[in-house]
Amino acid sequence: MVDLPLSDVRVLDLSWHVAGPYCTRVLGDYGADVVKVERPGDGDPTRLAPPFYEDEPGIERSALFLHLNTNKRSIAIDLRSEQGRETVLRLAEWADVAIESFSPGTLDALGLGYDALRAVNPGIVLTSISNYGQSGPYRDWTGSELTIWGMGGPMLYTGSPDREPLKTAGHTPACHVGGLAAAATNIALWGADASGEGDHLDISFLEAFMGLIDRRTTSLLNYQYTGETSGRPPAGQTPGSGIWPTGDGGFFFTTVIGPRWNAMATMIGHEELLDDPNWLDPAWRAQEEPMAQFQALVGEWMLGHSKLEIRQAVEDAGVYGGPVNTVAELLSDPHFTERAFFETIDHPTTGPQTYPGRTYRSSAHGWPPPPRRRAPLLGEHTDEILDEALGLDAAAIAELRSKGAVS
Amino acid sequence: MTSGNGTGKRLPLEGVRILDFTVVWAGPYATQLLSEWGAEVIRVESTKFFPSTTRGGLARPSAELVRSGGQGGYPDYEPGERPWNRAALFNVHARNKRSVTMDLTRPEGQEVFQRLIEVSDGLVENNAPNTMERAGVSWERLSKINPRFILVRMPAFGLTGPYRAYRTFGSHMEAVSGHYSLFGYPGALADESGTSLLADPAAGVSGAMAFMAGLRHRRRTGEGLQLELATAENFTGYIGDYILDYSMNGRLGEYRGNRDLVYAPQGVYPCDGEDRWLSISIGTDEEWRALCGVMGRDDLAMDERFATPEMRRAHHDDADTEILTWSIFQDPIEAMQQLQAVGVAAGAIMNERDAYADPHLRERSYWQTLEHPEAGSHEYPGVVWRTANTPNRIRHAAPRLGEDNEYVYKELLGYTDEEYQHFVETEHAGMDYDPSIP
Repeated sequence: MVDLPLSDVRVLDLSWHVAGPYCTRVLGDYGADVVKVERPGDGDPTRLAPPFYEDEPGIERSALFLHLNTNKRSIAIDLRSEQGRETVLRLAEWADVAIESFSPGTLDALGLGYDALRAVNPGIVLTSISNYGQSGPYRDWTGSELTIWGMGGPMLYTGSPDREPLKTAGHTPACHVGGLAAAATNIALWGADASGEGDHLDISFLEAFMGLIDRRTTSLLNYQYTGETSGRPPAGQTPGSGIWPTGDGGFFFTTVIGPRWNAMATMIGHEELLDDPNWLDPAWRAQEEPMAQFQALVGEWMLGHSKLEIRQAVEDAGVYGGPVNTVAELLSDPHFTERAFFETIDHPTTGPQTYPGRTYRSSAHGWPPPPRRRAPLLGEHTDEILDEALGLDAAAIAELRSKGAVS
Repeated sequence: MTSGNGTGKRLPLEGVRILDFTVVWAGPYATQLLSEWGAEVIRVESTKFFPSTTRGGLARPSAELVRSGGQGGYPDYEPGERPWNRAALFNVHARNKRSVTMDLTRPEGQEVFQRLIEVSDGLVENNAPNTMERAGVSWERLSKINPRFILVRMPAFGLTGPYRAYRTFGSHMEAVSGHYSLFGYPGALADESGTSLLADPAAGVSGAMAFMAGLRHRRRTGEGLQLELATAENFTGYIGDYILDYSMNGRLGEYRGNRDLVYAPQGVYPCDGEDRWLSISIGTDEEWRALCGVMGRDDLAMDERFATPEMRRAHHDDADTEILTWSIFQDPIEAMQQLQAVGVAAGAIMNERDAYADPHLRERSYWQTLEHPEAGSHEYPGVVWRTANTPNRIRHAAPRLGEDNEYVYKELLGYTDEEYQHFVETEHAGMDYDPSIP
């Protein structure tokens, strides 16, 4: 067993969907022992989230599920059965932290709320992830990634000013809540280890997005400082910023006003623009005619080069930009390839596939790191966990199974 | 010792001292989270070097530039005498942190830095690797000075590989990481999407996580640790489902706009007023009928085009049109309340005014008023998460440049009054940027 930073941390994972599983995926990557509790039958609803391997639905075929649940073991427990609940409480005794993402109040109603967990394990850290938090007038409101991102997140600043605000792709907002929950859980666990007293964390999508350090928090304080609200900045190719067509795809280019103007002029081979006081004046440049001229100059140069050539030129010039990679281009990118970032993980349904790698490297653990365990089949480790974590013998396990408490 | 957070209870990270070399957004978010929960975070700054887009865009922007809004927010659009202490960009995340100045380009500054490493637990930074090497930050050096040190490095592309010196902002990392190929309006050009900057906060939370992993490693092994977090790699975990879809099915993701694979209809609809919008996600037939009820359109509830999730997906454009003809006359906040009352997932796209007025955030005491000696008294976004047993609040506003010089030089490092005076005279310790800096 390779010793990783969180190798001594045991996680009882009662969460489902995306945010909680992303949180425990991170904990698993750092070495924690994650026991994922799923409902018998079809398990975590993400197992039935598209897209699927070969586009054929099935609980062991979801790309989202397979991605989010590496490095975990699965135990199927029926939380509605008395013995199922008892089994969870015994796992809470075994664990250092528990993660859950039910609607607020659900865990309490099941007799598995913080007070119940604390009664069997006073040092436990319970991390509750919910849409709006465990209190307040919206506590029981419903929501989706889109609607809560719209309320809390920086959505009003994204998209074209002529169109509706635009959400970031896929499950990026929910993954962020999970990443935040992973850090929060570790901070609380550090305190719990010192004091012997655990804690109950209340993490909400709404406040995670409202507190997002990018334009959101900055604009919120801007409003306090100036009384002005903000909206979507102009999109498109301006001297400020934009995605430009190149010889082989898009390039996100940001010119920084002031000292880097000359570097950019040199980069595009137009030395006649060096030190031109007009071009150094942002107000002059923002006028229609200079903008058109700028677009022609930069646009022509961009079309004559490949994305990777432009990337190198941008780095050499010390200006800012990045190639707009498709996922295919990302997987073959020379940098990611040389760092051996992506990981191939085998799975009985899908065979070997490419996964994003671990997010950290350390001075003590080497690279590549120990291979990850593939996402578990539903209930794959039920017997193993009951035996190893709870010390149940075969007869006791058989009894739990016969009563439908586990499967 | 207790935290002075008004609760009388120790915060989890009290007693942990972290040196902060972070810039812009990604790194500062990591140290914001750590300082929020009790760590003493000391920003190591210099009066000889202005970190652009950290303490504002320019050290001394003109009043005209500030009034044009081109430099982000300053209280009342006034740059003030020391604009670097008044920038919203900085003051929003530097709360709870301290600031010390020293000039690391001179040997004396390096000596001070070395003594600071000896008495600290770790350091967090997010610069290009060569910038840090010039400042004397490397694992080889720091771990020799303090073998129990935890060094978290968050360069965009990591410490090795062909892009190691490549400097980017968050949006460029998202371009490289594949997100921009997935984020846009269906059928539209790439440049209509505007910018997403989620890679920065994503790296911030991962940076805080990495530091905690370092602390645990040290406690168990007695040894320090360097953790390297390439922020562009970090963000690929947020789109892992697309990566796997490509690997498994050869499918390249496409722009879905605000639509979804599960909810239909789902979208963002215009409301009454300038730039007012409402988002709606419909999952079940019951929710669709509830929406139709609120819209006063029982005819739509019976309409066969929208009878099942599959039918609503097939007629998504029609559904959007029907919703729009209602939404355009609505106030988004009131519409959100009405729809939520009947169990429909709806959210107003909240602007800043909406956010500060929001009753839910008010009842949860999310905002917190902080008094800043040069920026005045304002309400700030609060602590990012709650704890039942360890109530928490922001302890103090962002530090002015060099505000904690005396504390660091004298109390922490034991320099005498005379020695400290020498550091002031030789322009290591100061509260003003060098006059030559624009």
